[in-house]
Amino acid sequence: MTSKLLYSLAFLFATITAPLAALAQADSQWLAGQSTLSYHMSHPMHEVDGVSHAARGKGICHTGQCNFLIAVPVNSFDSGDTNRDLHMIETTKGAEFPMIQVRARFAQSEISQQWIHADLEVQFAGQTAHYSNVPFERIQQGSAVRITGTIPLTCSDFKIDRPTFLTVPIKNEIPVHVDMTWHAI
Amino acid sequence: MAAQASNPQAQKPQTSTQHAPASQPELPNAPAPATTPQSSSQEPSLSDLGFSQQQTQADPKLQAKLNRRTEMLKIHQRLGIITLAPMAAALITGPMAKAKGRNGQTIKEPTNANLDFHAALGSATAAMYFATAYFAIAAPKIPNNPKHGAIRFHEALAFVHGPGMILTPILGAMAFQQEQNGEKVHGIASAHGAVAVATVCAYGAAIVAVSWPIHLKFWEKK
Repeated sequence: MTSKLLYSLAFLFATITAPLAALAQADSQWLAGQSTLSYHMSHPMHEVDGVSHAARGKGICHTGQCNFLIAVPVNSFDSGDTNRDLHMIETTKGAEFPMIQVRARFAQSEISQQWIHADLEVQFAGQTAHYSNVPFERIQQGSAVRITGTIPLTCSDFKIDRPTFLTVPIKNEIPVHVDMTWHAI
Repeated sequence: MAAQASNPQAQKPQTSTQHAPASQPELPNAPAPATTPQSSSQEPSLSDLGFSQQQTQADPKLQAKLNRRTEMLKIHQRLGIITLAPMAAALITGPMAKAKGRNGQTIKEPTNANLDFHAALGSATAAMYFATAYFAIAAPKIPNNPKHGAIRFHEALAFVHGPGMILTPILGAMAFQQEQNGEKVHGIASAHGAVAVATVCAYGAAIVAVSWPIHLKFWEKK
């Protein structure tokens, strides 16, 4: 009798927990489609935006944790002036470190919510900087998901000597706006 | 940015900086440091994204070229702005180095001091101008990099002020010679002033071109 009861309990436990466990471990993979990354540079005489559409990304969600990687070539940013773009590549050591890589980590439970708060590890100009709890807005667009947000980069985070114009340096803040569309694969 | 502005939790996060692996590639084809972590099934790697090897490889030679280019163009920029001072002074002293009086009236010759001062300013302008030009012309060119934007206008204007800076001193010397011979400045030498003004205008426009668009915040801040 006792053994029957134990078997019944075990069966009940297995019936309840198995789908939950499966749900918790449901892997999903994401690939970036269209992307627009733009940095904003401020100078007392100039406001400049450099835009790149060359970013690529992949995301893997596994056991409740999502790991996303976004990479973009430094030389793909276009600010509307070749001279300035070359100076940007020079000052950010873009030939030595040609890729900007952003690794984002967040809880898998957030992937279906309007706001995703990600911990970011940014590799840029031969340096690595960490930003925690960076908010990104998630917008469902049919089968695709559009993610927008701003990474608050600064020149000092990456030991970048701020470029000067007429001896006045640019602002330390160079926020990078991210606008990417992702597809589940 | 709109997303951040609309999110009540949005705030500048704490940041910390870490050094990338210290080993710098010595060879042009050496892989870039801190770029390609090992791929695992739970964490995507750079190799998963399909970038070509050419895109992800470090190029120390190109970096050195870019560094040299920037250094030379910084000198070009500084010298170019400094050159404005003798150029403006030469333009201002120009009328003082010119004989005055119309046909049939008494001609008032300029003093030798005025002539010498104007000639000295013109010579200084020419010397500094060509030094400025040298640093732009000799700066390393970056291949596969078609030019666009304000730099094109800046460079196009060099085809105006460049010949102007060659012609202005030649015409000035001719005018000086004619005045020394007691003649009224005539012929092509009489265009010295006009060529100088056109040259200065083109030079000023070239400076404005690389500074454009000048943001109004510059004045608002004051």
